[in-house]
Amino acid sequence: MPTLPINIGSYLVNLCSALLLLTCFAIVAQRRLMACVDLFALQSVFLAVTATLVAYLTGIHHIYLAAVLTIAIKAIILPRILKKIVRQLNVQREVSMYVNIPTGLLICGGLVILAFFITQPIVHLGFLLTQDSLAIALAIVLIGFFIMVSRLKAVTQVIGFLMIENGLFLAATAAAYGMPLIVELGIFFDVLVAGLIVGIYTHQIQEAFGSVDTSRMKALKE
Amino acid sequence: MIWPIILLIATPFLIGVSGLVVRNRQALDVLHCVQAGIMVVSSMLLVDEVSVSGPVSFLYFLHADAISAWFDLVIGIVAGTGTLYAVGYLGEQYDRGHVSLKRFRQFFMLFDLYLGVMLLAVNVENLGMMWIAIEGATLSAALLIGFERSKGALEAGWKFVILSSVGIALALFGTILVYYSSEQLLGISEEALHWAKLYEVGDQLDPSVMKIAFIFILVGYGTKAGLVPMHTWLPDAHGEAPTPVSAMLSANMLTMAIYAILRFKILTDQAVGPEFTGTLLLGFGFFSVALSSIVLLLQEDFKRLLAFSSIEHIGIALIGFGLGGLGVFGGLWHLLNHALAKSAAFYGAGLILITHEHKFIARVPGLLREHPAAGVALFVAGLVLAGMPPFGLFVSEITIAVNAMNTAPSIAYGFLGVLTLAFATLLFQILRMVLGVPMETQISTVGPRCRAFSTAALAVNLGALIFLGLHVPAGLHDLIGAILPFFDAEGEYF
Repeated sequence: MPTLPINIGSYLVNLCSALLLLTCFAIVAQRRLMACVDLFALQSVFLAVTATLVAYLTGIHHIYLAAVLTIAIKAIILPRILKKIVRQLNVQREVSMYVNIPTGLLICGGLVILAFFITQPIVHLGFLLTQDSLAIALAIVLIGFFIMVSRLKAVTQVIGFLMIENGLFLAATAAAYGMPLIVELGIFFDVLVAGLIVGIYTHQIQEAFGSVDTSRMKALKE
Repeated sequence: MIWPIILLIATPFLIGVSGLVVRNRQALDVLHCVQAGIMVVSSMLLVDEVSVSGPVSFLYFLHADAISAWFDLVIGIVAGTGTLYAVGYLGEQYDRGHVSLKRFRQFFMLFDLYLGVMLLAVNVENLGMMWIAIEGATLSAALLIGFERSKGALEAGWKFVILSSVGIALALFGTILVYYSSEQLLGISEEALHWAKLYEVGDQLDPSVMKIAFIFILVGYGTKAGLVPMHTWLPDAHGEAPTPVSAMLSANMLTMAIYAILRFKILTDQAVGPEFTGTLLLGFGFFSVALSSIVLLLQEDFKRLLAFSSIEHIGIALIGFGLGGLGVFGGLWHLLNHALAKSAAFYGAGLILITHEHKFIARVPGLLREHPAAGVALFVAGLVLAGMPPFGLFVSEITIAVNAMNTAPSIAYGFLGVLTLAFATLLFQILRMVLGVPMETQISTVGPRCRAFSTAALAVNLGALIFLGLHVPAGLHDLIGAILPFFDAEGEYF
């Protein structure tokens, strides 16, 4: 059982959640695709540390397993797949965005405020240890959405999707001390398969369109 | 008796896996005919079982009550005829040399997996596992939509992957919030996500958490159900996917997404009362019907036409569920008949696509003369989808309209208005295709195998539609009687 006083534990969990959020902003501000992938891997490491802290402080052992899987899948396997794709496709820079970086950062700031606003009525229900993490998790989810809609390259959209997954995992760990083990395993499996499928798709899109710029795909519309 | 539920869920997985070792096309055809038969029969047996002796459980994670049995019936029958049709359709592509044997086998493995996870989703007891199964359906559907690897197919597939993944992520957030609220009551355990357990303590769940959770669930699973304004992937995916897949997307996947929304609606209603979810469902339903009824007229591509008609019908069902009372009956009856009619229409559309190799409505008039099987399928299914009596969709639309008139007349006027518009636009487009004189002379013919399989699939679907229009089996009557209490609804139906 925990030897740390609960309030110090709570500070540490909050610190880690805040670091997760910080990496989101770093990804929004980053143009180089390789660096984006690295930042995503770093974010996953912070996520695993948060999960380990929660597992240690609460004594719920299956969260350790989730932390190990996070490192394995989100910090090692998926970044490798993504880097391979980036290298194969020979696109190093995200030169085109719908929103420029300073505006993007401002919007993300607004999204964080929105997330705190939405979760305000429900945080009091949660466990004392992780109360503030729910809002941060929602903020990460919203920023993930923002990245998906504001970037043009298929690879960056995938990073946005994976960030959303990270936010959801933080929400599950922080708000509910993890989902039941069977559910968590299923979610990891699905995320991994989703990563592979997206890899297959980017490859085929590159072959068919000669680019992974999704703004070129506009044949289908009303 | 638990074997209907076992057969229904295990068959597609087993036959799908057998595709890894079976390399003979003839054997694959036979296996899938067996699968089609088992799916249709076991889904009916399951309905019978549940309506007579109550919920069925198997292992620790499968639990089928009346609601599950209803969706098993919808998905099971259409999945059965869809399998038959796919055998014919893909076989034709193979005979023409459009797909290799390897791709043929890949298709059926994915297709079976897709049907299997959808059936799993409506029978698992744990809401988290339901999410996993629905995500599984998303991923297998993503590969099926892009199966033809043309530019259009890849664009549609990519759009589907991105939008559905976002949607499903929102739904997971909603599920986490439900767990967040329920574990205060049921403890940190798997049972805190079992809907049967949740329904026992539903009234003690925190109302504000459940409200926020339901919004996330509705927007999330609503993306998969194709609700306006999250529908943008739907016409592209239905238009570009191989036709058997389009039929399954429309008839099964949208239905499965509605199932997921209903499970959470029942729970949220217990915590906060029916007003909140009812208003949301009515709003999304109404906008879906209104937008699609107009856009139907603008379509030049017959598969996209059918896709927009799906958005319209899912919207109508949602209005029924949102109204509550007998509207729930209307919604359920609507989903069943829509699935049968829409898949029949897609089977017909697929045959036209094979012979004409394009999808322009304006260039395929005179189908009744030129291609009777496809013409009759589109004509009958078109009448059903437009809501002509005596078919089931007429019954459900009238039920919903009457129910709306009794509870909220202003909604009823709007509903009848958009319904009339949709009736006119859809029927206009369908009649443009089936009547008149054939225009193109240089068309290919459908091979005998494909013709036999698709006629069989069409016969089952159209036969079931006519049968359900004239007569209501006792099992279905009892099943609806068992579902209505979940929604606090009662009254005389039929």
